[in-house]
Amino acid sequence: MMPRWKGKGSQAKANADPMSKIVSQLQSSLIQSETRGLLSSCSVLVEVDAELADLLNRSCFGRPRNTAQENKQWFQLDMEEAFYLCFSLKCLKVIGEDGYIKSNEELWDYLKSKKPVFPISYKVYSHLRHKNWVVRSGLQYGVDFVAYRHHPALVHSEYAVLVLSEGDNDLNGRLRVWSDVHCTVRLCGSVAKTLLTVIVNSNNQGANSPSCLEHYTVEEQTIKRWNPERSREDQTGPKNGTKKV
Amino acid sequence: MGSDDWRSCSDNEDYLQDGNEDDDEEDCYSSGFLSKLQFRKDISKARWVDDLAMAEVVEKKGKMWVTMGIVRNGNTYCSIEETLFLIEIGALHVLDGNDIHLSLKELYEKLSNGKSGCYWELFEVYKHLRSLGYVVGRHGIPWSVKGQQIKSGTCSLEGSQESNEMLEMEPKDENSVIELFNNMQITDVSPAFNVYLPNSKFRKSSPGDPSFVLYISRCSPPSRVEIEALERKHGAIPFKFCHVENGRVSFFSLAKTELPVLP
Repeated sequence: MMPRWKGKGSQAKANADPMSKIVSQLQSSLIQSETRGLLSSCSVLVEVDAELADLLNRSCFGRPRNTAQENKQWFQLDMEEAFYLCFSLKCLKVIGEDGYIKSNEELWDYLKSKKPVFPISYKVYSHLRHKNWVVRSGLQYGVDFVAYRHHPALVHSEYAVLVLSEGDNDLNGRLRVWSDVHCTVRLCGSVAKTLLTVIVNSNNQGANSPSCLEHYTVEEQTIKRWNPERSREDQTGPKNGTKKV
Repeated sequence: MGSDDWRSCSDNEDYLQDGNEDDDEEDCYSSGFLSKLQFRKDISKARWVDDLAMAEVVEKKGKMWVTMGIVRNGNTYCSIEETLFLIEIGALHVLDGNDIHLSLKELYEKLSNGKSGCYWELFEVYKHLRSLGYVVGRHGIPWSVKGQQIKSGTCSLEGSQESNEMLEMEPKDENSVIELFNNMQITDVSPAFNVYLPNSKFRKSSPGDPSFVLYISRCSPPSRVEIEALERKHGAIPFKFCHVENGRVSFFSLAKTELPVLP
């Protein structure tokens, strides 16, 4: 599926402003400002100035909260987003409900306790973010994430992402039966997205600490519905070239 | 773009109108050289051979024989699914060994008894694709073999697959034989058909690679491991999965992919 850019000039804008650079700027700015996030149940709240607010918006981390406060802006980060900033980008520290900064291990344990699939969910989030895709929640589409090639203002998301696991850590129960495949593919199709399953194998490393993550392996797979009524003329020949004559 | 746009941009997508693809399902007799159900003047004739579980064609009428039936030593033979399909559209009369007309009922019975290497859902898939003009043949059974009589058991699904694959193996290549047996233990999915697009210049003498190989999945969707095994097995030839339930035939492509690293 080709990326669907929104309007003229969007693709050029995206090319001129690579996501990796925006994220890198966000990272520096957060480090410099020594920003602290406040852990509140399953969210992390951060209070930022205008410059950081702009970077968070442009890199698609968190959602802004509109408050009457004038010179500062509050943002609400999801679990995966917060942990990515803390653990992968090392640019944010999170203060727990007890008022103390949480170490990565403590934060990991805490987030796991809130969401048992967090380890594999995070692996998928970070896997895609590392490739500079924008990753947002996919809950409204019945999937785990949606992945965009750049900012959602510039491009429609191409992929609806479902996190699956195999091996010992098989927590996710999706797509075990055909009816779920039908359901998910149909829903994705009706919003013009391809279903992307990202399968995580923990390779028996368990999930005791975030350092386990680097031993997890990840495979991507697309699932598409094929309509024989439509494809009769359109398909090109077999991948390996022309038929024998 | 002002900061407002960045901030307020939501992830809401417009829900696209769901295509009417499912309405087409009922009108599936529309294309290709096979016209709608009608009383045909030119009806072909075949004789059912129980030993082969196939019908030997004795009188050919019409152009469909270019893409129907397998050829052995100059004779054309139809599988049970081809036979049933042709009878259902009124293009074929089938006789038994005593030249007595076999009814549709008797042929449905032959499908159901399991000895023809086919079962109801496979027939539904076959009919669905054929009616749309696709050329469909059983995986592992060559379309045409010269100078060789037809073998008993050609139509047994497992038998033909195994014999074709074993023929391709070098006897000394132990590892590949082991791999062959490992691959055969893939449960729940078995390759059913080779499918060619309609309008292709199909010739039984040199069909070329199929457009895709079709697997019928009965219970659960294939696992990643199974798909990777199939990708290794089929190489450049695509494969698809078909799920049949309640008379509905649905096709899916599951493929390994890798999203690019973006700038």
